[in-house]
Amino acid sequence: MKVSIIGAGTMGMMYAHNIAKIKGVQPAGVCDVDRERAERAAQLCQTSAYTSLEDLLAQEQPDVVCVCLPTHLHKDIVMTLAAKGIHIICEKPIALNLEDAREMQAACDQHGVRLFIGHVVRFFPNYRDAAQKVKDGVIGEAGVAHLKRFGSFPQGSDGWYHDRAKSGGVIMDLMIHDIDYARAIFGEVESVYAAISRSDQMEYAQVTLKFKNKRIATLSGYWGYPGPFTTEFEIAGEKGIIRFNSNETLSLNVKVQSKDQDLGERVQVPRSPMMYDPYYYELAHFIQCIREGTTPIVSAEDACKAVAIALAAEQSAELGKPVNMEVFS
Amino acid sequence: MKKLKIGMISFAHMHAASYLHALLPREDVEIVGIADEEEARVSPFTAPNGIRYYKDYMDLLKEPVDAVIICSENSRHAEITKQAAMAGKHVLCEKPLGISEEEMLEMIAVCQSQGVQLMTAFPCRYLTSVVHAKQAIDQGEIGDIVAIKGTNRGTMPQGWFIQQELSGGGAVLDHTVHVVDLMNYFTGSEVEEVYAHVETLFHDVEIDDAGMLHIRYKNGVFAVHDPSWSRTKSFPTWGDVTMEIIGTKGVLTVDAFAQKNDVYSDQVMKAQWSYWGDNMDEGLIDSFVTSIRSQEPVSISGEDGYLSARVALAAYESARTGRPVKLKE
Repeated sequence: MKVSIIGAGTMGMMYAHNIAKIKGVQPAGVCDVDRERAERAAQLCQTSAYTSLEDLLAQEQPDVVCVCLPTHLHKDIVMTLAAKGIHIICEKPIALNLEDAREMQAACDQHGVRLFIGHVVRFFPNYRDAAQKVKDGVIGEAGVAHLKRFGSFPQGSDGWYHDRAKSGGVIMDLMIHDIDYARAIFGEVESVYAAISRSDQMEYAQVTLKFKNKRIATLSGYWGYPGPFTTEFEIAGEKGIIRFNSNETLSLNVKVQSKDQDLGERVQVPRSPMMYDPYYYELAHFIQCIREGTTPIVSAEDACKAVAIALAAEQSAELGKPVNMEVFS
Repeated sequence: MKKLKIGMISFAHMHAASYLHALLPREDVEIVGIADEEEARVSPFTAPNGIRYYKDYMDLLKEPVDAVIICSENSRHAEITKQAAMAGKHVLCEKPLGISEEEMLEMIAVCQSQGVQLMTAFPCRYLTSVVHAKQAIDQGEIGDIVAIKGTNRGTMPQGWFIQQELSGGGAVLDHTVHVVDLMNYFTGSEVEEVYAHVETLFHDVEIDDAGMLHIRYKNGVFAVHDPSWSRTKSFPTWGDVTMEIIGTKGVLTVDAFAQKNDVYSDQVMKAQWSYWGDNMDEGLIDSFVTSIRSQEPVSISGEDGYLSARVALAAYESARTGRPVKLKE
């Protein structure tokens, strides 16, 4: 199966790093408007670099294209690829509004191509383990969940994350991971309440999802966090609790003696290394779904619902009132 | 200087025992008596310590007592406080101060008109981490507070705590007031609006055992708080008090009971956390005794008790109506 990558920023590099490791996948070109970036990613997976999508498609004839572009560019590319009969793996969020997301879904259906959205948290072993334990009833009926995702303000190409018209902001871009995961745990959302603070240096949001089955998930997301990238969750049930804190599961910590204080600071980065990163599992799963025609763990429909919830949260924060999800269905 | 004569009224709330242990070693205090209609509840504390027992607290109030500590069921705080004030006794009242806005305002008014002091028992103010957090915030270490996320998750108590007519509310009343008091203390502002979910998700009881509150302060700070009784039997400790405070220049977190040893014992067959931090109840008692003896205003007033308890009461109203509730001026 020939798989191309469009967009060679942070995510494109991540895909390039993983794509060649997947059995039966032949990397088929990386495209980026910036030649250097395209070449760097292409080198990583031993394929050719392109600066034009047309050239890549004509030369490589891919079966699948991974779309790793800024969110506001997803729709046009997905529509183009779908019309050409190419399967698509697109980074999250699917789109910045529901209309675009639905159009993308419809175009893929119409042209008989598969559309997968990279809600990668479903493929993180820690999140998968917790979801499975909840499903297996290990903590009884789950009742209240806390989900947290804090990081620095992402820079991206040309600072596109700072432009809300392009990234959608911290809820749409970052917290959407936890929105999707909360749905995976509790099901459909009834109402959303949110509060947000934004400045040039930070975006911080608190969002509570009330589910149709009365369960509660409260999410916090932060761009501009002065600490290390941090994820945390707690799922409390009638008969048990599952918790995770990324700062407490660091399996490797290298400390280097150094006379240079600054250098010492820089090289002491605790890590949690694994044989494969979650993007590998995600891509391998989507490729398998294409090959076997099976249903993915996380569907384009799930991605649309996550966008709807993120939009509802934005609206709630603006109105200062809860927003019922019926308005967004 | 002569000793402060203290009477204790009711041991319905188990904090009474802890307050007693904080009083016993003090040389500036004489414990005149303990009143409780259930003698069995207090007999382990009276005779062994040579403290006189009173069945009727009105009899204790007739004694030459300077101050009383009230740890009755929540629904009786108002009646006992007013009687004590009428008898000219200063009052330290267990939280929540009362179960309705009207009765709390009356408690404050009666104490004022009788010229006695009313202090609300919020021992969390005397957590050493909280004392230092307050200093750091006041010194501007994290800039201006933008938002706060709090938790006071606990094990569900038994007995009158889960009887609405005696407690006035479940988890949301029991476990909102401590952290909201700290939020009030840190922000120096008052709550303007509350939106909340109140549910019974963890136990087979009538009363609420789960909730989530979204709070907006007059100064623009917003907050979310989880007061759920969601700690299961298998959890290593009774509960937590945590606050994550997002400022314009940094983030400050308080994990009040993080000072612990991890204990693994075959005697109990579950992991346990053994807390070794400072005793906050000693700080509370010291503050009360010192204030009364030196005729200084108590550090946590009845007004403070009212300002946090009304937030919990507003949470119930919000959950009933499904709308944010603005607090009356």
